[in-house]
Amino acid sequence: MKRFIGSVAALALATSAVAAEQFVVYASRSFVRWGPAAAIEQAFEAAHPGVDLVWVAPAGAAEMLSRLIAELSAGRTDADVFLGITAGSLPRALAEGVFRPFDPDLIPNLAFIPEDLRVDPSNHVLPFDHGYIAFVASPALSEDLLPRSFTDLLRPELGGKIILQDPRTSETGLAFLLWTVAHFGDSWPQYWRALLPNLLTITRGWTEAFAMFEAGEAPLVLSYSTDAAYAYLTVGEAKYRVLTLDGEGYRLIEGLGIVRTTRRADLAHALIDIVLSPEIQELIPTSQWMFPVHSGVALPPDFARLAVVPEHPVFLDPGEVAQHLDDWISQWQAILGN
Amino acid sequence: MAGHPRQLTGRGAAGAALALLPLLFLGVAFFWPLWDVLRLGLQIDGRWTGERLQAALSDPYVRRLILFTLEQAALSALLSLGLGFPLGWFLTRYRFPGRRLLRAFTIVPFVLPSITVALGFVLFFGRSGHLNRFLMALFGLGEPPIRVLYTLWAVVLAHAFYNAPVVARFVNAAWERADPTPVEAARTLGARPLRAFLTVTLPLLVPAVLSALALVFVLCTLSFSIPLALGGARYATVEVGVYLYTRGVVASFPRAAALAILTLGLSLVLTYLHLWGGGMFSARQGGVRLGSTVPLFTREKPRRALWLLYLLPAAVVFLGPIGAVIADSFLHPAPGGASPTLHWYRMIASPAWNPFIESSPLAAVRTSLLVGGGATALSLVLGLSVSAVLRRVRSRVLETVLMAPLAVSSVVLGLALLLAFRRPPLSALRGGWAIVLAHTLIVYPFVVRAIRPLWDALDPALSEAARTLGASPFATFRTVTLPLLGSGVLAAGAFAFALSLGEMTAVAMLSGPGAMTMPMAIYHFLGSRDFGAASAMATVLMVTTALAAWAWDRAGSRWLKRDGALAVSRPTAENQAVPGDA
Repeated sequence: MKRFIGSVAALALATSAVAAEQFVVYASRSFVRWGPAAAIEQAFEAAHPGVDLVWVAPAGAAEMLSRLIAELSAGRTDADVFLGITAGSLPRALAEGVFRPFDPDLIPNLAFIPEDLRVDPSNHVLPFDHGYIAFVASPALSEDLLPRSFTDLLRPELGGKIILQDPRTSETGLAFLLWTVAHFGDSWPQYWRALLPNLLTITRGWTEAFAMFEAGEAPLVLSYSTDAAYAYLTVGEAKYRVLTLDGEGYRLIEGLGIVRTTRRADLAHALIDIVLSPEIQELIPTSQWMFPVHSGVALPPDFARLAVVPEHPVFLDPGEVAQHLDDWISQWQAILGN
Repeated sequence: MAGHPRQLTGRGAAGAALALLPLLFLGVAFFWPLWDVLRLGLQIDGRWTGERLQAALSDPYVRRLILFTLEQAALSALLSLGLGFPLGWFLTRYRFPGRRLLRAFTIVPFVLPSITVALGFVLFFGRSGHLNRFLMALFGLGEPPIRVLYTLWAVVLAHAFYNAPVVARFVNAAWERADPTPVEAARTLGARPLRAFLTVTLPLLVPAVLSALALVFVLCTLSFSIPLALGGARYATVEVGVYLYTRGVVASFPRAAALAILTLGLSLVLTYLHLWGGGMFSARQGGVRLGSTVPLFTREKPRRALWLLYLLPAAVVFLGPIGAVIADSFLHPAPGGASPTLHWYRMIASPAWNPFIESSPLAAVRTSLLVGGGATALSLVLGLSVSAVLRRVRSRVLETVLMAPLAVSSVVLGLALLLAFRRPPLSALRGGWAIVLAHTLIVYPFVVRAIRPLWDALDPALSEAARTLGASPFATFRTVTLPLLGSGVLAAGAFAFALSLGEMTAVAMLSGPGAMTMPMAIYHFLGSRDFGAASAMATVLMVTTALAAWAWDRAGSRWLKRDGALAVSRPTAENQAVPGDA
């Protein structure tokens, strides 16, 4: 079927002849807004003249993945590659058969990716960056209120001062839910109940949460451990404080994969190799504000100095997530109402 | 009245053929898709069972969704009454310059796209919004004093913004039509104005108030865009729940279908209650003097200070959000203070692909206009043929069948079409068509409601004369009936167009690449916090809708002037908003 994204042809009004072939990447909103999307597009289109790389990113990664799954089950999607999947969603994607296995031989840069970042031994998804979830405080929050532990987050002085993301639609939101499960075990629902009064709101995606935080709507947001580096390198001042809780930070590995139904697996492999290339990986720290996965890429000194690596990284086993996620989400939804 | 309601002899075949067209359309585009939802929600492995409904009802989250939906709807109805009743009183009692304009203004919420209101609320009532910045500067405060956003009250207040004018129109209409003699009698007999109001006027208004409350309650129960945009994860309604079950991490169409069946039941009950309430209203109003604008009270000193107490906060609630949207569309925010710019308008006139709205802004505008045009054309054809059928065959069953989409909320309709477009025959069509069909189904009942009374009021002798002179039924319709219905059809079309432009609920379920409309683009801009672009597009959308609404009003009143009948006058317009996007 001819692709006619974005054209009025959707209404079958004839203008379906698009000059360039379109190659469609579904990604998280944050990656296209912040990450090296433009550089990837440029490198890709330079290497493949006549192909137009189209980003589709109207929502957070988790929501985009749900949509891709729905489209695949309906038998039609425009996506060729999906970018932004994390370990929390990986089991679901694998179970739904979203991705086709990639061929390692077609991705030379794969050789530079450390084994411990390769979360999917079945070779459907590869990592392109990684980092840690943390709480980030703005200067509006006084020093003595800075939360250093899960318990600190419950202080009544923080009432209505925290912005979280919805684990049903956002990868960071999902990561925080998994983090509380990892930290508290079966008693995580009690913690969430106690936390609710301190939340300003729970947003659909990270992008709006962080924008609200930057606009001063609340002084605390669930974000990334690199945000002090971000503030320093963009406005020249490390105005944001990164807060690990009890020394912990949930580890987030973002990956990408080739959509099962693509007709251009060759282009998909080429795109993945570009994303993993040193040229793009070098841009990851100061655009996506994550750690690169390419072992040959050095971190910018200021980034290395200010990006926080938690003492105790937390990471829930994907098998366990696969088994319980549905149940956890149901419980989480039930807590919301209280 | 139609001349011969039951005269089917000799016309039976034609009537049956005529009924076939809308029945076929509704069958493919409505009943079959709805059947898909029922099957998905009520069947497990081909076996009919209530297990999914039971599972949904025993899920505390779903129970909470239902409770919250009813709770916010009740609060919204009460607040709408609180804000709207004084406005109705004000419009009825006082003559002042701009009164007609103000009254015309109360029609705005029917057509104002709800996502633009949600956007306005964020811009105006947000912690760093216009109101808080103003108050902080005025009183030198360190903390924003207004904390309504991100609470239940944001949803309730936005609903009141929408529906207070509805209440005002109901109250105003009932009051103006109420017979002034009893009040005059009471006053003559020595009752003080307040006592006369409480014991005579108020009881006369009770049916109108109840009817308005019922309508507002229904609208707020089925509301989607406002809780979606303003409620966050915590204040979600059942409709938002259906949407999340099709889009979230635990996406599950069967669960979405089960929830959809629950909301379908809810909306059926509410629609019935509303119709019952509406019937009560018109029954009580029967026989009173129509169109009299005699003031109920003699004009004693107007209590200006008292009115200021009402009008000032009312103006803040009504004009603030809209003003904020328009203002921000022309402003470039900067740390030192905003500067005027046309940047946002240039941005939304751009044909360049925008990944965040998965369309170019310009294409979104174009898609909206095309979808609106398509839905208007289809709903006029469908509305006219349904009206024609219902004129010939006066059957309650047939009427219920032909008007059934009225009782189905937009989210359920969206889910039904979403499922239907996954299988033949509809899978042959591309996504944009799903939205056109959804909007046609949402809009055509209003076309029928607007056209039927007009048609019934036509003198049957005219078309009979044409038939006697040898014109075929279709030629008669084309050359006699349609021109006579003329501006009434035009008005219905303009209203249909306005409704389609602003509708976002079905679009949220159905949109995708190539099917991005303006309201959905605004929602995505809101999500990526591109307020400038969102505001510019919202302003364009409001202006376009307002133009369509204006055309509707003009065409409608032209018809009124010519024929002097009240059949499609404002009271019916009130009822026109039933399953719309509150």
